[in-house]
Amino acid sequence: MTTLLAALGVSRRYGARTALEPCELELRAFEAVALVGPNGAGKSTLLSILAGALDPTSGRVETAERVGWAPQRPALYGKLTPRENVQLFARLDSVPSISTDLPDRPAAQLSVGQRQRLNLTLAFLGSPRVLLLDEPTASLDSERREELWARIDELKARGGAICFVTQNVDEVERADRVGLIEEGRLRLP
Amino acid sequence: MRSISLLLGKDLRVLRRSPLLLGVLLAYPLVIAGLVGLVASYASAKPRVALVDEDTLPGQIRLGGRTFHVERTIDRVAEEVTLVRLDGEEAERQLRSGRIVALLRVPRGFVADLRSMARSPRLELETTRGGLSVRVTQQVQALVYQLNRQLEDAYVEANLEYIRLLIEGGRGRFLGQDFDVLGLERAEALLEALPRGPRLDRLREFVRIASAALAETDDALRATANPIELVETDDEGRTWVLSAQAQSYALALTISFLALLLAAAALAAERDEGVLARLRRGLAGAGELVTAKAALAAAAAVVVGLGIVLAFGAIIELGDVEGGQPWSRVPLLVVGLALAGGAFGGLGALLGALARDARTASLVAILAALPIVFLGLVPREVAPAAAYVSDAFPFAHALRFFTSALFDLEPLGTAAREAAWLAGLTLLSCAAARAAVRRLS
Repeated sequence: MTTLLAALGVSRRYGARTALEPCELELRAFEAVALVGPNGAGKSTLLSILAGALDPTSGRVETAERVGWAPQRPALYGKLTPRENVQLFARLDSVPSISTDLPDRPAAQLSVGQRQRLNLTLAFLGSPRVLLLDEPTASLDSERREELWARIDELKARGGAICFVTQNVDEVERADRVGLIEEGRLRLP
Repeated sequence: MRSISLLLGKDLRVLRRSPLLLGVLLAYPLVIAGLVGLVASYASAKPRVALVDEDTLPGQIRLGGRTFHVERTIDRVAEEVTLVRLDGEEAERQLRSGRIVALLRVPRGFVADLRSMARSPRLELETTRGGLSVRVTQQVQALVYQLNRQLEDAYVEANLEYIRLLIEGGRGRFLGQDFDVLGLERAEALLEALPRGPRLDRLREFVRIASAALAETDDALRATANPIELVETDDEGRTWVLSAQAQSYALALTISFLALLLAAAALAAERDEGVLARLRRGLAGAGELVTAKAALAAAAAVVVGLGIVLAFGAIIELGDVEGGQPWSRVPLLVVGLALAGGAFGGLGALLGALARDARTASLVAILAALPIVFLGLVPREVAPAAAYVSDAFPFAHALRFFTSALFDLEPLGTAAREAAWLAGLTLLSCAAARAAVRRLS
């Protein structure tokens, strides 16, 4: 299968502390990879590096595809409404904006679940072929969860790749491969 | 450029939706400006000066037929300083500790010399080292000048009394000794009684000319004592509060706080909201992010600065203050406001990138703004080192730019020089902020 994104020997250190040991990871078309592990193991660090939001201390990430990213903590402007957030990031990324049915008030005033939905909406901007989602279903109600998984399955079926972090055992079953991260070390079959 | 304009538009929208923040950002520097003004006016009010009276000045002194109320005279001429009476030892102690800034000593024999009207009595002045000593020295010189102005009439009267004695004759006293003076008029009468002759005629001619010349001494003596007279008239110009200097201070101080805080808080808020990481994914580079913050600060500086200029101008025009507001200089001021805002914005972006969160960034920005502003307020002649350090920050350059734009007849030279400084400082601080933002990831 085609490799859509590859992490080659990426690691991350914060001063003397190693957050992520050098590791290799390939995301292939038509697959979903789950990353699991205890809190602080380095899952979010790896995902941020794959997304290009964090520079690795060593190694590199290679991809020729558009990559969507939803960080664990929603990254959006609290003073802007959902529509304004989507429009701004779409313009910055030079991609078409998409509509949202979220309330038209500043994002800071939305519920945690609504903020997470906005966070996910931003990840889908530009119809990415690779999705990196950090605990995407956290704070979502069951209906929204099903909607999200349906979109993920659709992307996968169209030849996309998804890597998601989860603490939920049920969600692990949706993955084709599962990577375990413990104390910064990734073990992936 | 597209990313910069998009981020700037977003920042302006966010700012518009934060009226409380905007109000604080505007009110805070104005309050600080007011407090600085109060401190400055206090500092220029009345330094403490000790008066050490070793000669036990009497309440009144009679000189040349006139009575001088010593206390009243000192009180009147010392309006610019707070005179405290101390003994010599205590005054020296307080001078060493800085409790007083100067010591004015009336040495023994002062009154005797004054009464003799033949020797100049001396006052002795000791000052501390430092900024105020020059001012106190000038004020004591003014005090002595005013005392001399009051005494000169008595001295002139006394001298005219001697002249009168020379003309009319009679009993007089000089240097403590009594004399019986013949006088030119009586001498002339005595000469008239003598037989005529060429030698006596020459004597008569001399006495006649001398009498006529001495009769004109009155005006000449008064003019010699007071060759140039300073006449004070009521000033109808603007008060200090409305002066170009006060306007420049208000502008520079407000822009410093506003731009520094705004840029620091805006960048740190982006980090707090986690957006910085999202932007780094190819949406906006560190340089574009920092430039957007500097542009935000510049835009806010222009809007707020113009508001201040308009407010000053309205008060000046409504009050029909002499000179008026230099409206033609507003375009030049706008350039200065934008440059100063940009320079402080770059510095603020650096602080915002270095701080861990928006609250810390705001606190650090205030902590940084205060010394930068106060360094810029220290006169170069008082502390040259402070002025050199201040040159490394935008405040002093902004202040000089605004002062020149509002006051100088030919402001372009100074404005161009300070604009170059501000532009250079903007580039430096933006480069440092860019490096700090890149380090975050």
